[in-house]
Amino acid sequence: MTTDLSITAMLSMYALMVIPLLIFFYLQLGIIRETVMAMARMTVQLILVGLYLKYIFQLNNPFVSLLWVTVMLVVANLSILNKAGLKRSLFFWRSLIAVAGSTLFASGWFILVAIRPEPIYDARYMVPIVGMILGNCLRSNVLSLERFYSGIRKNENEYMTYLMLGATLREATRPYLRDALKAAINPSIATMGTMGIVSLPGMMTGQILGGAMPTTAIKYQIGIMICIFTAMVVAALVNILLSLPVAFDDHQRLRQGIFCNKP
Amino acid sequence: MITYKNISLQVHRQTLLENTSLQIGPGDKVVIRGASGSGKSSLLKCAVGALPMAGGSVRVDGTELSAKTASDIRSRIAFIGQEPVLGAESVRDALLLPFTFKAHHGMVPTEEKIFQHLKRLHLSMDILDKPCTRISGGEKQRIAILRALLLNKTIFIADEVTSALDPESRTAVMEELFQPGITLLSVSHDPEWINACERVVEISNHQLMEVER
Repeated sequence: MTTDLSITAMLSMYALMVIPLLIFFYLQLGIIRETVMAMARMTVQLILVGLYLKYIFQLNNPFVSLLWVTVMLVVANLSILNKAGLKRSLFFWRSLIAVAGSTLFASGWFILVAIRPEPIYDARYMVPIVGMILGNCLRSNVLSLERFYSGIRKNENEYMTYLMLGATLREATRPYLRDALKAAINPSIATMGTMGIVSLPGMMTGQILGGAMPTTAIKYQIGIMICIFTAMVVAALVNILLSLPVAFDDHQRLRQGIFCNKP
Repeated sequence: MITYKNISLQVHRQTLLENTSLQIGPGDKVVIRGASGSGKSSLLKCAVGALPMAGGSVRVDGTELSAKTASDIRSRIAFIGQEPVLGAESVRDALLLPFTFKAHHGMVPTEEKIFQHLKRLHLSMDILDKPCTRISGGEKQRIAILRALLLNKTIFIADEVTSALDPESRTAVMEELFQPGITLLSVSHDPEWINACERVVEISNHQLMEVER
């Protein structure tokens, strides 16, 4: 079992935050309030999730677990659209299909094909694995959607030139799709390439701290990394492809009304 | 043939054209004149569905511009903007770009054909391997025109395409575009270009008015 952290230990962790806050203050970055708010939100959210997960694990009811997974998916989806600067009312369902589909597919693959827990719906596996994959999908989708639409918006002349040269919507958007996918995936390729040397990944560290053999922990880590990577790529691609009919009008012009902010 | 019928155009809630018409026959050479911001470029753009119209219709060779026909109409027209975008790393890639699209598959021009056009537009052969970022505005304009010529298009919409050209290059471009088989709808402030056009249309009080010559 992992050693629990005392209140004093936790306070000493918070004390460490003084260093970055002092740096922000000295450099007058104007993000002290934002950082403190984010810290407070993280603390409250994690306390609530900790308590909630405790009951979910005790109950181990597939419907309750699925309900929690649904909440996670909806919140992640809202966050993706918000951060990508796209109107939630226009893209909510399409983005949800992309993110939920790829996350559930990859999580299902890892749980049903690789781990096969008893019972198969064991909340101790389902909730954290979906969470890990979803968290990464969130990052990749924010990057890919934002890069894709800002790319077309900033280079509208270039995009229209492709159309004028006879390109279909798919052909004219392909250069921006490529850029967007690369932007979303490159950080993960770099992380995978240095894993184990530069960083010890979260799942593996958690398992080792929890008492698992490092040889077992690495197998889980490799498995989850492949599932995360697959889900990220599929979600980023499908999300963009599903958004096209909403984002462009019937003459393939980019609708300016899809963005939350003005250019 | 391009027909604008009872079109109305609004850009940023400002009315540019209101219920006005214009017909351009096959082989016509038409230049649009008007004050800055009067809607000259917007008129050109709406022929290829690059700008939505507030009313009216546009027909190209008898086909009405609509969601279903926009791609087909665009593939028939060569649209060359004031600041042409080449959309590729090298000049060669830019010239061959349209042939990577489904609409022009199997129509890749021969090197010889490219060389002939380069020569006619007073461009050297070595420009093909230059990055598009390293060529001048005038060269970009000629490469954009050359690309359209390689597509064997017969309808040209040209927005100030000689603005960055020296007199020699301008003459070369005009020799290519003012051929009898080409229908040309243009915007220009260049007196030589305007003189060469058979028809001058002025935008005045949101209307397209033919100027007597």
